[in-house]
Amino acid sequence: MARRYDTRTTIFSPEGRLYQVEYALEAISHAGTCLGILAEDGVVLASERRNTHKLLDDVNFSEKIYKLNDDLCCSVAGITSDANVLVNELRMIAQRNYLQYQEPIPCEQVVSTLCDIKQVYTQIGGKRPFGVSILYMGWDKHYGFQLYQSDPSGNYGGWKATCIGNNSQAAISMLKQDYKIGETSLNDALAVAVKVLSKTLDMTKLTSDKIEVATLTREGDRTKIRILTTKEVDELIQRHEAEQARLEAEKAKEKK
Amino acid sequence: MSIMSYNGSALVAMIGKDCVAIASDKRFGIQGQTVSMEFPKIFEMGPQLYIGLPGLATDIQTVAQRLTFRVNLYELRENKRIRPKTFMSMVSNLLYERRFGPYFVDPVIAGLEPVTHKPFVASMDLIGCPMVTEDFVVGGTCSEQLYGMCESLWEPNLEPDDLFETISQSILNAVDRDALAGWGAVVYIIEKDKVTTKTLKARMD
Repeated sequence: MARRYDTRTTIFSPEGRLYQVEYALEAISHAGTCLGILAEDGVVLASERRNTHKLLDDVNFSEKIYKLNDDLCCSVAGITSDANVLVNELRMIAQRNYLQYQEPIPCEQVVSTLCDIKQVYTQIGGKRPFGVSILYMGWDKHYGFQLYQSDPSGNYGGWKATCIGNNSQAAISMLKQDYKIGETSLNDALAVAVKVLSKTLDMTKLTSDKIEVATLTREGDRTKIRILTTKEVDELIQRHEAEQARLEAEKAKEKK
Repeated sequence: MSIMSYNGSALVAMIGKDCVAIASDKRFGIQGQTVSMEFPKIFEMGPQLYIGLPGLATDIQTVAQRLTFRVNLYELRENKRIRPKTFMSMVSNLLYERRFGPYFVDPVIAGLEPVTHKPFVASMDLIGCPMVTEDFVVGGTCSEQLYGMCESLWEPNLEPDDLFETISQSILNAVDRDALAGWGAVVYIIEKDKVTTKTLKARMD
């Protein structure tokens, strides 16, 4: 039945759905996981690295995490080529705003402007929507640290913690339990991120070459965006495994 | 009345031993009337890359802002700092795009190459014709005076302190022979590990 109503994006189905948008979301749900957590003193983005082929040349510094300007960073999930186009557009949006107003663009505005562009592809033109969901982390002088998520429909929302991509629903329910509103520091956020990723990743054991983690913090009057080194990621994983072992030991003791 | 001498300016950049220096006057005037003595004409485009823009004041600011736009996008896409030679081409391209309605600026570029730290200076005309030299470049309403001063005072392989003295004397004496430039001067000495900014005590007339 759906066949008749999903070949073009610009029409509704009888149930009032836009199938092309839903198919785009379906494409993203098979992509590598990305999660973001807002902390009191910064924001964390962590994502699964899927391109770990031995023959791949390591020209790219980062597979999924992109800097947009001095105060904004994003992580993408979905069709990489679509993502590249959108990241370029995001950078242009930020620079155009800076050229016009000579001050950094507020975080929400970048997201909102791009989402208006994404929405166009769900209503006119006969083109398909972008098959990308994006997590944004940023700082501005109006609202401090912020985390946003946008998807192919052109919808966006501000979040305290969220996840996109493969197993995102499982990740979000884990985050709901582990994230403490108003009490999470950056280190807590990093620990939670590693914990959630280790559950949602396909592979059995988490290693530093399978994930990439970026943090955004403020130092003085500058924003610092950092992609963690392999060593630092290893440390986080070790701490997580030590914590897991400790919990296992406690459970074993209680059983006795 | 020439548009290039509506506001008045003096810019000079010199090469030294493993360093470059760039200096400008600080006057912002509207023909004869001086409006400000704190008008910046030198802009940072990278940790060791500076551009000086003499000419029409509004175009000085617009070109600097539009260049920042392009340099920021370059650095985000290429994931590296822009090299002085590449930057020079970027400026030239920006100016030539306005070939038949140009920005009234005569840019002067000074910087150090990112890896080798080799000194680089260049200048160009208002439609982007680039010129790279091994000694110094000048720009502004007193460019003739600056050419004279630089040609007499400059010598190769000047240490940073000596380069500072040389460039300061060049600009101070040149602007003293120009009614439209002067009212204070600022000098940036760019070395591989630091950039020193010095404000010169000048005749305020």
